[in-house]
Amino acid sequence: MAEWTPMRWPDQWTDPSALDLLHATAIDYLLIGKAETLAAVRARAQQAGLHVADAAPPRVTRVKGEWPGVKMARGGGRAQASAGPTGVPWVDSNGWLVRLERALDPQSSIWVDAPPAENARLAAGSYLSAIADSASRGGRWILSLDGQLAAGLAARNPQALDTWKKIAAAAGFFAARDNWREYRAVGLVGVVSDFAGENEFFSRELLNLLDRAGQHYRIVPKGRVTEASFASLRALIYSDAEAPAPALRKQVLGFVEGGGILITGPKWGQVPSAPAKADEHPRYSWHALGKGRIAVAHEDPDDPYQWANDSVVLVSHRYDLVRFWNCGAAGSYYTMAPDRKQAVVHLLFYANRGPDQASVRIAGRFRAVRAWTVDGPLKVATESQKDAIEVHLPQVGQYVALELTNGMDSNA
Amino acid sequence: MEWIQTRREWLSTAAAALAGSALSRAAAAPASRVAIARCKTYNSAELLPAMQKLFDQLGGLERLVKGKTVACKINLTGSPTYRIGYLPLEDTHYTHPQVIAAAAHLMAKAGARRIRILESAWSTADPVEEYVLRANWEPRDILGAAPNVEFENTNYLGKAKKYSRLTVPFGGYIFPAFDLNHSYEDCDVFVSIAKMKEHATAGVTLSMKNCFGMTPCTIYGTGAGVDEPSDVPKGGRTLVHAGNRQPSKSAPAEKDPKSPRVDTWRVPRTVVDLVAARPIHLAIVEAVKTMTGGEGPWIREDLQPAAPGVIVAGLNPVNTDAVCMSVMGFDPLADRGTPPFERCDSTLKLAEEAGLGTRDLRRIEVIGTRIAEARYDFAGIRERRHKAPVPPMGIRG
Repeated sequence: MAEWTPMRWPDQWTDPSALDLLHATAIDYLLIGKAETLAAVRARAQQAGLHVADAAPPRVTRVKGEWPGVKMARGGGRAQASAGPTGVPWVDSNGWLVRLERALDPQSSIWVDAPPAENARLAAGSYLSAIADSASRGGRWILSLDGQLAAGLAARNPQALDTWKKIAAAAGFFAARDNWREYRAVGLVGVVSDFAGENEFFSRELLNLLDRAGQHYRIVPKGRVTEASFASLRALIYSDAEAPAPALRKQVLGFVEGGGILITGPKWGQVPSAPAKADEHPRYSWHALGKGRIAVAHEDPDDPYQWANDSVVLVSHRYDLVRFWNCGAAGSYYTMAPDRKQAVVHLLFYANRGPDQASVRIAGRFRAVRAWTVDGPLKVATESQKDAIEVHLPQVGQYVALELTNGMDSNA
Repeated sequence: MEWIQTRREWLSTAAAALAGSALSRAAAAPASRVAIARCKTYNSAELLPAMQKLFDQLGGLERLVKGKTVACKINLTGSPTYRIGYLPLEDTHYTHPQVIAAAAHLMAKAGARRIRILESAWSTADPVEEYVLRANWEPRDILGAAPNVEFENTNYLGKAKKYSRLTVPFGGYIFPAFDLNHSYEDCDVFVSIAKMKEHATAGVTLSMKNCFGMTPCTIYGTGAGVDEPSDVPKGGRTLVHAGNRQPSKSAPAEKDPKSPRVDTWRVPRTVVDLVAARPIHLAIVEAVKTMTGGEGPWIREDLQPAAPGVIVAGLNPVNTDAVCMSVMGFDPLADRGTPPFERCDSTLKLAEEAGLGTRDLRRIEVIGTRIAEARYDFAGIRERRHKAPVPPMGIRG
């Protein structure tokens, strides 16, 4: 399915000449308000072959998102980053939401509606984060300009035009790589849930925080588990408030017997072996089953942050798919082409300024690496390691894509 | 030569030392051999014989560790996700895993019953094995170096039911006693395996300063509980650095809450208190590869990798650190105001005055490679660096 590149038309852009800004960009779907003052804009946009509407088209799921990036604390004279429970900066991202909506409705395209806060004045890098955060996961952020930028562009202010150029480059980068949307997520853990009802908050927040913990996951909607659902995963997380149906239980236990790990809570029900005496964990008891193990939490799940971080250690950092150095608040999304000949790892750096001298280790065996920013190819140094490759980045912005060729990745 | 001082002997020595003035305590401070070895690589073919020779020159490991539980405090300062440029952490500011593995191997060969590798992993209660994987290490390289090697994260309660209270025999400069992870008490032999570096707050970080990391952040850290220790450590040791609050009330409070709230005064004294409370039987300071300019990537200086190609070991940490300082081109007798203690007190001087060991090279027998031959001029680099403007920090996240 072709993917649109949507933009919310600023209400103050009543002069149709503002459409000239869209010339040679990937933006092809305009959400324009119904005001009479915008009639001329609507007419000319349609003449120019742009799709114009006041709502998303059919087969597009529009979801309410957050402005992505490091969350800044309110108040005080200086902007300070809010911190998570362990003091690491808190990052808002819509990546998990795009992935979840796509998993729940694979035929749908996902648009993220996350306009800038009122009176926000955003740098180009912040727009790059907003675009890449959704597009890297196969969705689209509805391009929405802050008031100052919109006014600056209307006045053809050079600084605003420079920011616009960067925004257009980012949108164009992802539009030109629509095939990446077909790439499948490479994950270590599968999150099995119905993501609804009583389980909605915990399961969804768990996905969000697994991203922050650097844990790569596959979303496994409860009603659609097939033999392939668990293939190549090392672990499953089942945190739903009710015990699994017998068929699902059998599938999950089969995964464990084959060597996998199940991380679950007391609601899972009877576990077919006694807790192991060794390997004591402060919050879980381990049970052996076949070639695998089950980690049963002592208490019902109530803290998705704790569960996300525990899962990383229960599975072990040994199997990290991506490791970062000197990257600050970073995230990644590791994908594999359907023919498994190429992987793309999306790297997202959420701070206002991208990292300097960052390194990224990607698990897998690869013959070649090509790195991209939205502006073009990026020269990087690489270092082959056992079953991994380390990529050394120069000073970069908020987004880098690594195309890794000839993957022989054992986890994919 | 005295090999292992028992805790009682240590207490007795330190108590006796306290009886006199600081000067007389310094004059009476113990002196023992320190050995230096050149070692240009971490290749085990070069490293193992070099370390074996060092230990032999000190009288042999067997007398120290045979049949004993040995606890080795290593130095993994800061988060494992920060490097100097693209360099592995162990080539700049972490104790190198090959040095740890070699030490464990040689200790086992000398008859050690159990070898425990200890570190207070930055802001986490995760196992050390998991922590070092994030640094791109393979923990099996260390665990497999000998039978009965194990890790413990000492930044929290760990595997025990309660914290161990270790008292400072001379009364302490700041703390009269510490509540530490059980590992620091449940051992017969305590070894500090440090990296030779400068330090922004303490001038240098060697075998003694390495022990600053013994303090669990559940009690002495930013997120420490007020009444009781927190369950998991959060953040660094601001509490000890700045003195902005007291440790959890369950642990001994500072002797004088009105004493200076300045890190350059507090950190050296706290280190001496710690080293007195938990005596070091063997100090190993490695600088096959290290860094100049500070102790880790977060320091705002012109940080540079360095390859001194040297390892220093001794049975007294003050003596050993004194020799290290000389190897670094610094005067171990330097006091506040003189490099590398321009802004801070000398941990060595304070330790000497507490009767823990002498820093006077005239009293220390140096064996193996001569200091002049081992010298790597940290002092000269420091002087040139201080004449240049501070470089931009850059963004490391």
